[in-house]
Amino acid sequence: MKKIFLLRRPFLLNGLFLAIALLLSLAIGAVVIPPAELLQALVGGTLPATSATIIYEVRLPHTLLVALTGAALAGSGAAYQGLFRNPLADPYLIGVASGAGLGAVLVMAQSWPSTALGFYAIPAAAFLGALLAVGVVLAIARVGKTIPVTTLLLAGVAVSSFATALSSFLMLYSENELRRALTWLLGGATLSGWQPVIAALPYVVIGLGVLLVSGHQLNVLQLGEEQAQQLGLPVERIKLGLIAAASLAAAAAVAFSGMIGFIGLIVPHALRLVWGGDYRRLLPLCVLGGATALLLADLLARSVFAPQVLPVGILTALAGVPFFLWLLRRAKAAWTW
Amino acid sequence: MKPRLFSILLFISVFLAACASPTAQPTLPAPAVSESQVTPTSTQPAPEFPLTITDGLQRTLTFEAPAQRIISLAPSNTEILFALGAGEQLVGRDVLSDFPPEAQGVADIGDTFIGLNTELIISLEPDLVLAAEITPVEQVAQLEQLGVNVFWLANPSDFEGLYANLAIVGQLTGRSTEAASLVAVLEERVAAVDNALLAKTNTPAVFYELDASEPAAPWTSGAGTFIDLLIARAGGRNAAEGIQGAFAQMSIEELLVQDPDVILLGDAAYGITVESVGQRAGWGDLAAVQSGSVYPFDDNLISRPGPRLVDALEELARLLHPDLFE
Repeated sequence: MKKIFLLRRPFLLNGLFLAIALLLSLAIGAVVIPPAELLQALVGGTLPATSATIIYEVRLPHTLLVALTGAALAGSGAAYQGLFRNPLADPYLIGVASGAGLGAVLVMAQSWPSTALGFYAIPAAAFLGALLAVGVVLAIARVGKTIPVTTLLLAGVAVSSFATALSSFLMLYSENELRRALTWLLGGATLSGWQPVIAALPYVVIGLGVLLVSGHQLNVLQLGEEQAQQLGLPVERIKLGLIAAASLAAAAAVAFSGMIGFIGLIVPHALRLVWGGDYRRLLPLCVLGGATALLLADLLARSVFAPQVLPVGILTALAGVPFFLWLLRRAKAAWTW
Repeated sequence: MKPRLFSILLFISVFLAACASPTAQPTLPAPAVSESQVTPTSTQPAPEFPLTITDGLQRTLTFEAPAQRIISLAPSNTEILFALGAGEQLVGRDVLSDFPPEAQGVADIGDTFIGLNTELIISLEPDLVLAAEITPVEQVAQLEQLGVNVFWLANPSDFEGLYANLAIVGQLTGRSTEAASLVAVLEERVAAVDNALLAKTNTPAVFYELDASEPAAPWTSGAGTFIDLLIARAGGRNAAEGIQGAFAQMSIEELLVQDPDVILLGDAAYGITVESVGQRAGWGDLAAVQSGSVYPFDDNLISRPGPRLVDALEELARLLHPDLFE
């Protein structure tokens, strides 16, 4: 009975999961913080200086950055899947990841023992690279006033391949930075402190905000672009707006957390399998579920080989894919899309 | 409509919660400093304190007393600290710091490349984090924001640079005397090698193999690197001196043209044996392989810019000129 009750209230259930994941992420880490101190931290009591620094300056910002990243990736993944009516679409489809990677590697390939290279150089370059790549893809794919989906996908794949090749070349010849670049590409919110959270927040909030109010338009788009046009939907404008919003959120996520795969693919599909494909419901669920999933993956990444930290992108695939396959197998009906 | 509104509210509230810890941000406690004063100091504060010193990132830092709770972020730094007798002052080290063996008993704080464990670093309450050139500047900035003293030790480019680094670490740890005597010993050992090599009659060409998982195009180290410098100082000539870069690829064709007198296997630690080299396609024709002048070499001696660079020099000189070193 209880199970059914919760299943019929997906927002309550997913909100609950997210709350638990947030708490776990705050509570568990390489350093054991006594539960009493944690409780005090939650109600705003005073703590020993070291515990306070660890909770407020290390774990809390890290937790929030991971949650933001997960939400951005799953939200934009669902939007892209709806927009392109393609189950294989993910947040990186039209150049975000490869553009960000190229930007980051370009900065890393410089000889960086210089004071000029600040805290933000890599995330800023990645963010600009991502937006630039998407911009180039859109400019190429534009035919008159429309952006045909097929052209868009092909341009996306081509630009991505080009940027990836360039990054590989740079990585191979950047010597010492090879491992660092590789680690960045595998993903993981290694930057700590409040600055990355504050820097990523506006882009993720704006991007996801636009997506969250576009559920109805995405639903109509599922009928096909011509149908949607006939129903009076300004299809091209909506497409452009959604691409911009999803890319903005994904670019901010990639810039600060590196390339984390599968969250943008698996979370929307898993939620779709359980609660159906109504985008008015699916998009907000993806925001909650994406944050939860990445928080749990990050928790595993931090604990399995503690004190070593695994790149979380490896874990999202290793842990996420079997779970998703199990879900796929369990959904006995044929895959309806 | 209702679920959408609810979700947006929930979404907003999560982010409000995120922003609603304004007390957290300005609180940048420096627990490391206050705690360290409680720790009994084993060395008397030298007259040079308070010490104002500039690190490799041109940051000017001031230390009130010799560091007593040190975290090393690189194997080279760990080796320097132990060589100066400051091993007792080490409370944390990166995962790759495996020498001397005592270092492995010190708390592991993660991998520089994959990610250092920031909360472990904070919990150890260090009064000095000794970073190296492999430490990303962002990592330095983050630790600095958390109120940790970070000193970024630049890589030396010659033995003089190594001695200067030893002196710096000596100053930071209140072990300047130990640093001075260590430098004197090292200088003597280098001079001994130089002297012995005065009698050398040949300058063998050396191929230093970093990686040959692709035998047709092995990786080596080019001109201007520490490997290049050490080979020259040990009375040899780097076969890759015409190539640039610390990781440079040389084709087997070029290698056959160069036909080095000696091949050093810097990748011996990864299971590459002298026998396996002869079995690689084309390598059997090399003079070094035919004359049996292929030797395994401990790459850690050369790749870590610490006091063991002098061990590397002695070892190299012995391999290249066995007759001069009995």
